[in-house]
Amino acid sequence: MNVEGAALRREQDASAESDLAVQLSPMHAVEPSTSSPPQLLPYVKRWLLLNRGGLRAVFAGAISLMLFLLAWHLLTKYRVVFFVRFTNVPSPAAVYESLSRAMHDSRFFMHVMLSCRRILFGFSLAAFTAVPLGLVMGRFKLAHEILFPVTEVLRPIPAIAWVPMAIMLWPTNEQSIVFITFLGSFFPILVNTLHGMSLVDPVLVRASQCLGAREMSIFREVYFPASLPHIFTGLTVGMGVAWVSLIAAEMISGQYGIGYFTWEAYSLVQYPDIALGMICIGVLGLGSSALIRGLGRVVMPWNRT
Amino acid sequence: MSEIKASAPSKGRVDVRNFALSYPTLDGPVEAVCDTSIHVNPGEFVSIVGPSGCGKSTLLNAVAGFLKPTEGDVTVDDEVVDGPGADRGMVFQQYSLFPWKTVKGNVEFGLKMKHVDKSSRDRAARTLLGLAGLTAFENKYPDSLSGGMKQRVGIVRALATGPKVLLLDEPFGALDAQTRVIMQQILTNMWQRLKISVLFVTHDIDEAIFLSDRVYCMTARPGTIKAEISIPLERPRQQSMMMSSEFLGLRRGLMSLIREESIKAMGGELNDLALDGLSIDLHGQSLADVL
Repeated sequence: MNVEGAALRREQDASAESDLAVQLSPMHAVEPSTSSPPQLLPYVKRWLLLNRGGLRAVFAGAISLMLFLLAWHLLTKYRVVFFVRFTNVPSPAAVYESLSRAMHDSRFFMHVMLSCRRILFGFSLAAFTAVPLGLVMGRFKLAHEILFPVTEVLRPIPAIAWVPMAIMLWPTNEQSIVFITFLGSFFPILVNTLHGMSLVDPVLVRASQCLGAREMSIFREVYFPASLPHIFTGLTVGMGVAWVSLIAAEMISGQYGIGYFTWEAYSLVQYPDIALGMICIGVLGLGSSALIRGLGRVVMPWNRT
Repeated sequence: MSEIKASAPSKGRVDVRNFALSYPTLDGPVEAVCDTSIHVNPGEFVSIVGPSGCGKSTLLNAVAGFLKPTEGDVTVDDEVVDGPGADRGMVFQQYSLFPWKTVKGNVEFGLKMKHVDKSSRDRAARTLLGLAGLTAFENKYPDSLSGGMKQRVGIVRALATGPKVLLLDEPFGALDAQTRVIMQQILTNMWQRLKISVLFVTHDIDEAIFLSDRVYCMTARPGTIKAEISIPLERPRQQSMMMSSEFLGLRRGLMSLIREESIKAMGGELNDLALDGLSIDLHGQSLADVL
């Protein structure tokens, strides 16, 4: 009865620590169990061995970042001109200096917070409209036939191209920027949700029907969770595009925000602030993507690999 | 055993009468199954065997309510089948467990659809999982289980709503030979304890004989019933019975019935040659000479 179970467990154990266990077990036998440091040592060794893949990645990442900084430093220090001109590019040290100044400047924080707020509104609005729309379009053919042509025509238009139209459509600048952010993330989320819905295994739907599920339950218990991995792909991509659209909109029509800060730095000839703004955008983008991924892991515990 | 026989089940009679099903195509309707009548008595274990594409799964899907007959009707306890429902539990070849639900969540699903309260659901799921030897895995997700375990969950899930009939569509087709034998024993065990009617579709003759009270043999497309065979082997059945002369006799009979149909199903030319022609005389030439 449990033969399979035992076999599976044995297999998992074996794959996880087969060679390590063999190597380390004699050491265990020899160590006296009274003193604590000798017990800790093999544990640390095993941890290092098991995580050597991850450790190498961290190490390689750190090295590569340091090399990037070094190259940047050297290129700006010697003001290299070789097709590209580094004459006016700020050095890492100058950017660091401008960062430490910005840390004590409430205006800088206001720019960052405003951008974050716009992302929050625009992206949330997109997520809460595109996901239900995608679910409905994926489930009901008629809804798909009616709505799909419209979305297909609007989809290739970049969010930035909407700027003039957005300014006409919305009474305030703030609203039009949120609208641009919304548009940028809307279509990736919609398209991925639709894709997820098209991949739902019809056998799972039949299985749920055999267990007595009706339309609403099938939607909630089968279609929605089955599409979730693709919905989250859409949210991750959508978040990226939201930042792209937001920064462009802020540069064109903004008064505040990190995109405006970066553009203003150029106008005011404060070159280190340009790089500071760029790095800040990068970090914010990275952070929001990580947030979405983390949320995905919480919402889809079965999807852990 | 005597207790079980004393209370003979009264529910779960399946009747398929003069059943026909055809698909519309540009060249006119194509018949998948024609003029078929089968029945399952309450508490009986009935198998349908036949060559691939003979429409045995079509028949099962019609009983499940996924396909509507073009002619004839399907009834369960004299009620006409109109769409899928929880009174007919189904087990699929591809397991079809919900990957986003734990083993216990999968088993509880049918009861949740019936709005059974949480504690009763929990109790029922645990009891059934215990019966299938899966208690230790109740909080695991299906992706971390082996094929045999997945299918045990599939069977338990289908039983959890207390259906009148259990429909199984080649449930052990994807399992290796050893696991399959164990699964067959688990299934017979559960069937004997729960006294439920079973309609079982397979292409495995041994499996059909070992499990069933009665076996229907279908013809190649368009499928009809070619023969109906009673399996008088005594119960409980042991694996050693598969070597008995009685078993082998039944096997031989069923085998020749199926073989004829399988050759038909494989198409015209093979049918004309009737396999004897496969020993084409090459007049001593090697393959290279022929080419």
